[in-house]
Order: sequence, then structure tokens, then C-alpha cells
Amino acid sequence: MDSISPLSNQTTTTTSSSSDLSRRKRRKKSPPSPPPSLEKWRSEKQQQIYSTKLVHALRELRISQPSPNPNGRAVREVADRALAVAARGRTLWSRAILSKAVKLKFRKHKRQRIANPALTQPVIATGSLRSKKQTVMRIKAKGLPAVQRKVKVLSRLVPGCRKQTLPVVLEETTDYIAAMEMQIRAMTALLSAVSSPTEHEEEGQTHVLG
Amino acid sequence: MSGRRSRSRQSSGTTRMSEDQINDLVIKLQQLLPELRDSHRSDKVSAARVLQDTCNYIRNLHREVDDLSERLSELLANSDTAQAALLRSLLTQ
Repeated sequence: MDSISPLSNQTTTTTSSSSDLSRRKRRKKSPPSPPPSLEKWRSEKQQQIYSTKLVHALRELRISQPSPNPNGRAVREVADRALAVAARGRTLWSRAILSKAVKLKFRKHKRQRIANPALTQPVIATGSLRSKKQTVMRIKAKGLPAVQRKVKVLSRLVPGCRKQTLPVVLEETTDYIAAMEMQIRAMTALLSAVSSPTEHEEEGQTHVLG
Repeated sequence: MSGRRSRSRQSSGTTRMSEDQINDLVIKLQQLLPELRDSHRSDKVSAARVLQDTCNYIRNLHREVDDLSERLSELLANSDTAQAALLRSLLTQ
């Protein structure tokens, strides 16, 4: 007697190879939910990618003035921009940082975000028009003005979230926090690698960053 | 069919999440905050508290990044050999 399990029973009805293919195809397509992006910021590989980008960008940054005071700002901007690039354009905050950098570069009169279709999505434009109506309804729904105030403050802290709805702000915040933590880890490692490269240059470097 | 009418009142045309989904996001946010994550409260921490702590945490992170940037810029300004050391440290990873 063949001991066929109920699962394999299905495959034996059709030819096994074609059903295998269909199963393989289904698996390859995509998982139903988006993969957790937070784990990506915690991975070693992502930190290495970011560190590389950062170093390359810092190399191009020429510290012109001997007094390093205003250059801290420049380094911060470089680091933020590298972080935004590492986010691969999937989040609002990263797109906002990149569009800020582009605006600074060209220095023309202040453009509205709506006039910059290459970097923003139309959803943002309509969101800002609707948010006025929404705030009234949201207060009624939550009933807590304290929460509203705090969300407003939070939305100002996270780049690109000033006119976004509550769930969007929360979503962006979680990603932004994870990304910043990685940024801090990478910059700290970089600092310690650079400030003590004296004798152990070739041997001991890896252990600092690993 | 009649069930749709009562549902459409909630959605109002934009993507408004339910309270539960928002609460889930707040809980997820709470897990990220170092101080709230370790608290052994079985009670739910209030959303306002989570948000306030999040703002403070983000400000702290910003400050840390600024501080690290300052130190990095000082190092870079001091010598060009530092930049070479930067590159070499990465290549030996």
C-alpha cells in the first residue's frame, strides 16, 4: 500500500514536474507582506555598505578652512545624504533629505514640493490639501489633543513628514530611528578606526570594525 | 451589500487606518525605544508617553550624529593622512 500523505496526493494527480514548477514560480513571486525593513538597518552588511559610501563621500569633501567649526555641519550633511541613498528611495524621509540636498545645490528661488515631480509623488501634494479637513476629524476620532500635539512635533523632527497623516508619520519614524542608529554605529566605528591607526594598521584594523 | 455602507463612513476616501492598526504601530515604536522596551509594565504605556519619548530619543540621536560629525570633521581637517587612513581601514575589512 502506498503511504501517500495528503499533500503529496495533490502533486501526484498532475505531472510532478509541472506542479513543481508552479510551486517554484509561486514561491519566487513575492511574499504577501513587505519584508521588514528594520532588520536591514541592523544587518552588518548594510552598515558596511553605508560606511563605504560615507568614506567615499567624505573623501570628496574638501575641508577648506583650517578652523573645523563650520565643517561639522558639512560632515553631518554628507552623512545624512549617504544614509538617504542607502535607504534606496523607499522612504519619505530619505527622499526629503535628497531633495533638500538638490535644492541647496541649485539655490534657485524656493520651489514648492509639488513643482518637483521627479522627487515627490503626487500623493504628497494631495495629502497636504486634505490634511486640513482631516485634522478636525482626527481629533474627534482620537479625542486626545496631547497625542495630536506630540505627533506634530514628531513629524517636524523626521524629515519630510510635516504634512503627513499619523500612520505615515509613525511608519517613517520607525524606519528613521533604525537608520539613524545604524548611522551612529557606522560613524563611531569609522572614528575609532581613523583615530587609532598608528602601529596596528594592517593587522588590527579588522577587529575594530568587525 | 448593506454592510458596505456602514464601513464607508469610516474610510472617508483616504487611507485611514483603524485604531487597532495605529495602536500596533505605536507598540512597534515602543519596541524601538530603549527605555520603554525594558520596562516591565504589563500595562500599555500611553500613546502620548511613547510619542514624547520618541521625540526625545530622536533629538538625542540627532545630537549624537552632530557630535560624531564634529569629531570626524576635526580629524579630517587635521591631516590628509587621516583621509588615507580612512580608505585603508575600509579596504582591510
